[in-house]
Amino acid sequence: MKLNVKLFAMLQEQLGNVVTVDVPEKPTADQIKQAVSVSSPNLQQLIGTSRLAVNQEFTSSGSLDVSPTDEVALIPPVSGG
Amino acid sequence: MYYLNISDSPIDVNALYQKLKDPQYGGIVTFIGTVRQWTGNIETRFIDYSAYHPMAERQLEKLAAPIEAQGARVVIEHRTGHLELTDEAVFVGVAAAHRGDAFRWCEYLIDTLKKDVPIWKKETDTDAVRWGD
Repeated sequence: MKLNVKLFAMLQEQLGNVVTVDVPEKPTADQIKQAVSVSSPNLQQLIGTSRLAVNQEFTSSGSLDVSPTDEVALIPPVSGG
Repeated sequence: MYYLNISDSPIDVNALYQKLKDPQYGGIVTFIGTVRQWTGNIETRFIDYSAYHPMAERQLEKLAAPIEAQGARVVIEHRTGHLELTDEAVFVGVAAAHRGDAFRWCEYLIDTLKKDVPIWKKETDTDAVRWGD
């Protein structure tokens, strides 16, 4: 299944606004993060510490009921304030 | 009712403070975060903030709603875009019946905002450009 993953901050600067990844059905957040980092090993650590959001909600652990029409985003460590 | 805003417009501190005033409240605590020049030996020139809209606003609502449910008022504004030294980046205000709750909730809100609200700063320092803290 192909998912479009929105990117922000440093990830966006390095990889663009969106990357498309190929993941199994009902993937875990780690599987999606792994798929994003395959093409950019230098960003592996940052992607590892990023959180995944589906439809603008942070995900919890376990497999995700996500489809290609959902809004998936990778949230690098935030730094507001 | 809470007031939450994330935008490129400069933060009008006095206007936000006025939103907190109400006869039912006897204590107002505000926190204002500004752009600092020095962090140890690192000198900052300016900061650019960006946000994931509208997830950032939704996260702020999740923080504010439970506090408002306890009878307080919450006002939060975060600025995005280009900020110079001393510019206000964030305003967090809580009005409550008594000061204890207002202090506690204001600190909770800014601490949680810094962890859970998708806003990022890109700091341009004299020696390098840095993302995050």
